[in-house]
Amino acid sequence: MAGLTSRNLAMFQGGVNMRLLPLSYATRNLGRTPSRMVLTIGGSMLVVLLVLAAGGFVTGMRKALVASGNENNTILLGVGSEESLERSEISMQAAGILAASLDGILNRAGVEGISPEIHLAMPVSLDESTDALGEGELMLVRGITHNAWIVHDEATLLTGRVGEAGRDEAVLGKLAARSLGFEPAENAIDRSIWIDGREIRVVGILTADSGVIEGEIWYPLTDLQVLSQRDAVSCVIVTRDGATPPQIAAFASRRLDLELAAIEEVDYFASLSAFYAPIRTMVLLTALLVGIGAIIGGLNSNYATFVSRIREMGTLQTLGYSRFAITISLLQESILASAVGALLACFIAIFILDGTAIRFSMGVFGLHIDTGVLAGGLLAGFLLGIAGALLPAWRCLTRPIPEALKTTI
Amino acid sequence: MSLIECRKLSRIYNRGAEEIRPLDQLDLRIDAGGFVALMGPSGSGKTTLLNLLAGIDRPTSGELEIGGLSLGDLSRKELADWRSEQVGYVFQLYNLVPVLTAYENVELPLLLHPISSGERHRRVSAALDVVGIADRHSHYPRQLSGGQEQRVAIARAIVTEPTLLLADEPTGDLDRESATAVMELLSRLNKEQGRTVVMVTHDAKTAQYADVLLHLEKGRLIEQEEMAS
Repeated sequence: MAGLTSRNLAMFQGGVNMRLLPLSYATRNLGRTPSRMVLTIGGSMLVVLLVLAAGGFVTGMRKALVASGNENNTILLGVGSEESLERSEISMQAAGILAASLDGILNRAGVEGISPEIHLAMPVSLDESTDALGEGELMLVRGITHNAWIVHDEATLLTGRVGEAGRDEAVLGKLAARSLGFEPAENAIDRSIWIDGREIRVVGILTADSGVIEGEIWYPLTDLQVLSQRDAVSCVIVTRDGATPPQIAAFASRRLDLELAAIEEVDYFASLSAFYAPIRTMVLLTALLVGIGAIIGGLNSNYATFVSRIREMGTLQTLGYSRFAITISLLQESILASAVGALLACFIAIFILDGTAIRFSMGVFGLHIDTGVLAGGLLAGFLLGIAGALLPAWRCLTRPIPEALKTTI
Repeated sequence: MSLIECRKLSRIYNRGAEEIRPLDQLDLRIDAGGFVALMGPSGSGKTTLLNLLAGIDRPTSGELEIGGLSLGDLSRKELADWRSEQVGYVFQLYNLVPVLTAYENVELPLLLHPISSGERHRRVSAALDVVGIADRHSHYPRQLSGGQEQRVAIARAIVTEPTLLLADEPTGDLDRESATAVMELLSRLNKEQGRTVVMVTHDAKTAQYADVLLHLEKGRLIEQEEMAS
């Protein structure tokens, strides 16, 4: 500032040139072409909705897998099937032998924390004809005994009761019920589902802290053995209460006749999560690519809009408004449109997307729209507004004022 | 006392290999409080000179002083500040902002000045009164006739009480009746408020309102004519 004359200094101190255009100028410009405003808001809404859906997918899948592992549980499954319980088959006797061989296993009210289970992906239908055609929805059916409720302590009955063996009764996970079309999930109570030609009555709905169990159907083990015509079980899940993972691993390696492998439940789901990591990356990458496409579309649309107002920009500069002030106004206009779109997308995400059941090879999980995902969506909308307007504004405002004033578009 | 002094003022554009000189070594003095009409054929440099006087274009060479200030020495930001304080500009096509009402259009230049909203309201109302359009203050430009739009544009140009009022063919897009009204208004602003007016026009009838006619040709001043009052 040392080289400034006193007149110039006074000019700077007055701050005349830093004054911005009124916000009403930006809001009214937005409504100048209603069709363009609707398209901009709609486009922004769709892009942000996609970002929210992608974020909800990734968060939901991760949450389901993380919430599914109990750090005191060890899974005993068939050697060579460590990556998938559904492929595993072990002897039904393994549970009894384990109970007799190992101390330090949870015992609650006389019921031991040893749960023999069958995990099967089977087509599930809401009517007999669909079932007969084999066109049911593929869902994970878990054959269980009462011990399962001790081993999986995150699983609790939301409503109804536990299914009894021999009576064709099942408990549906909350997401499994919604995935079958019961909204709310409680509507499934006393309704029938069809699995492999058998009519099964729903007697309870369970929740499990958003874990994968919420996407499963729990059916008495013996009934599932009959239905699937198999004697073997998929695994035995043990809840330790003093016993250590190496002790259980040692048991599995000693009993060569049972062909068992031991894996910690948290490790099993961690490996499952790692297995699906590329899918999550692809989903995010797709959202990113669509977002970039939307920004390019926004650049075109905004340039067409701004270029039609070049003479007006020249006039504003003639009046004394700086390029900075006009750029801010154009950014306000663009951000307002994208923010409205982003907010609409957030409402749709909260009230429609959140909790939507997604069928996947790992089972069913719910889209999870939490504050982090919402913040990501809003940020995407904000960036869309800025990135879509900055370059067109710069291109229009760098024209010399006399040239801008002569523009006749 | 001269308000504007041009010494060997030139503006040169390069269009490919071709050099275009809309203003060529122009020497000119315009007194404060004068009403000057710039006339001449198309391409004679009238609008280029007006743009230089408005500080929206820069000379290629020569000196341009307005009120003792050399415009060539100012940065773009300083020029913008200077324009907002010292210049009112009336365009041929009015150039009102279509999304703002007549009142808001006139208020626009004042938003650059650190004055209270009460003072702003007083000045906008006074400017609208002067141009006789106060009853249309809430109308949007599309709801006004061409003559009314130009009156609003003149109100916008005078609301900051500028030293210099510049008009680029202010009646070029108006019918004769509206043109007469606008010219009488500019003449009144010059005589009653003492504003220096520099106007570009092709129309001899419009030029009669000026005190001095400057005839430009090929970027040079070829004749200066004092008009009988």
